[in-house]
Amino acid sequence: MPSTFNPQHVIVQGITGSHGSFHARAMREYGTRIIAGTSPNKAGEMVDGIPVYSTIRDIQANHEVDATVIFVPAAHARGAIFEAIEASVPLIICITEGIPTHDMLAVHQRLAGSESILIGPNSPGIATPGESKLGIIPNHILSPGRIGVVSRSGTLTYEVVAALSSAGIGERYVVGIGGDPIKGMDFVDCLAAFEADTSVDAIVMIGEIGGQSENRAADYIKKSVAKPVVGYIAGHAAPPGVQLGHAGAILGSKQESAVYKSERLSEAGVTICKTVTDITPQIQKISRSTQ
Amino acid sequence: MRLLEHEAKQLLSHSGVTIPNSELLRTPSDIPTLFPTVIKAQVLTGRRNKFGGVKIVHEQAALATTLQSVFAANIDGYMPESVLAEELLDIKQEFYLNLSVNRDEQAVVLLAHRDGGVDIESQPKDAFFREVIDNDSKSRALRLAEYFGLESHEFALGELLDQLLDCLKKNDALSLEVNPLVVTKAGELVAADCKMELDNAATFRHPDWNFYDIPLSANFVELNLRGTVATIANGAGLAMATVDAVQAAGYTPANFLDIGGGASKETVMAAFHELMKYSELEAIVINIFAGITRCDEVARAIIAAREEIKGLPALKIRLEGTNVAEAHTLLSEHSIVLYESLDAAIGAINA
Repeated sequence: MPSTFNPQHVIVQGITGSHGSFHARAMREYGTRIIAGTSPNKAGEMVDGIPVYSTIRDIQANHEVDATVIFVPAAHARGAIFEAIEASVPLIICITEGIPTHDMLAVHQRLAGSESILIGPNSPGIATPGESKLGIIPNHILSPGRIGVVSRSGTLTYEVVAALSSAGIGERYVVGIGGDPIKGMDFVDCLAAFEADTSVDAIVMIGEIGGQSENRAADYIKKSVAKPVVGYIAGHAAPPGVQLGHAGAILGSKQESAVYKSERLSEAGVTICKTVTDITPQIQKISRSTQ
Repeated sequence: MRLLEHEAKQLLSHSGVTIPNSELLRTPSDIPTLFPTVIKAQVLTGRRNKFGGVKIVHEQAALATTLQSVFAANIDGYMPESVLAEELLDIKQEFYLNLSVNRDEQAVVLLAHRDGGVDIESQPKDAFFREVIDNDSKSRALRLAEYFGLESHEFALGELLDQLLDCLKKNDALSLEVNPLVVTKAGELVAADCKMELDNAATFRHPDWNFYDIPLSANFVELNLRGTVATIANGAGLAMATVDAVQAAGYTPANFLDIGGGASKETVMAAFHELMKYSELEAIVINIFAGITRCDEVARAIIAAREEIKGLPALKIRLEGTNVAEAHTLLSEHSIVLYESLDAAIGAINA
């Protein structure tokens, strides 16, 4: 079933770069329908049989486009996202890391009132295991199933997905919302999509220190999510005021701490794990009790 | 990247904001020509008043000794490398203004308070003037002027807000705080002190920033100098989760370290050397989920570290992902054990 997370006409912006070309191949090997790519000065070339155009509008003259995966360098990422919004691409996935905050504020303003959904930036992308993936999640760790995974962190997503898969529990969707403070889709939007999708049985949510989006998610879950949610917040040992890797992973107020967020989610009915390795056993418990 | 007061004020001034006349002094023997004057230590902390970092000098005879005392002040652990001598302002009123990127609003937020000065953190939240900056700026200056009780300065405040926003955007600043904003007896608005933080991610389009002291990456963070277990991981989230698991097992984590994607043997070796400053380590936990990173490269670094670094603590290693089979072969040739999972690696520390 095609859904937001499993588009059928995918393009790659920045397809001739080393990351863009490598991952365009990996996505296609996984079954994603990559129909074309863009690169400003290489129109007319091919990347492994995928045609390269200079702009999205040029692609749209010949093809329908329902998603784009952006690999262009940080200095040009704002322009690439603007181009996708102006071309009304419904789903924009931005893998690029290190985009200046003011560029993302401008993107955020332009997204409002547009027809596009943005995932990222600084995201590993999304996957519908067994069908398609858009981004850089390693192919071999994915296995089809009925768990919806949403996470702010790339490698932590891989860790959890690999553990689920090797335990024989598959994933319906894997969504990396990215580690930046100013971004597109947030936990609440993704939880709403998982809750509404009948092919998802249970949800894994991986947050971290910094910001309030896990707290908003807790409010939302309490009110509107009936499916079981297992959660983990990274950064319990984080000192205040210090950035831990991700631009968004910085502990300001008490409400941004791992302990506070864990408590809020727990009060909302989420099964909270103290460590990341506890997630899979908790999901196993849930699936046993619902069978 | 946070800026010193004088650096931030230069940027304000470029956007048209009025700042006090000043002289930057690099040594205690640089005697300012401005007099009377306020002497301000240039340090990256807001608490310099409490540590003797700000002194007003009315008597010429006291100038040299005051300068020396400010240069020598230990300000909450910071030592000033320079000192700003400024003209004394004829202060009528003081206010607080702050423009910051706010992640929860996903926008810039303006925060203001009627009482400028140093104890702004202790003010109740509802006493502030707070507005999300959107494109509709109509009557924002009027609302701020009414809040300040400065209705006669509405147009000057509007101009100042425009200048501060220009400064924020032009310089890729994440936050800009003017505290205090002074209204002089002559009715002029002057930024008497300023804190500013720039966005490291925007360094590529500001060649002039090489003038500042850009901090090293956020990828290595010390957590406890007397920690008993150090960590090496790849990816911010996995590195945080590794630290969490070490702490949950009852050990004191020494550090957070994300070696990033595609780390080379040299990067990993450098990480080992960095960790040798922790003298109370029982073990180093290595947790790699390789995507772009290659496990065999990490394995080569581990083997080299064991041969080259004296007194290397026990290594508890978990590798997964790209080229893990090659890594396994390499490590087993050197009788180095790999653990199946992070739990098993941490569980083996005291085994």
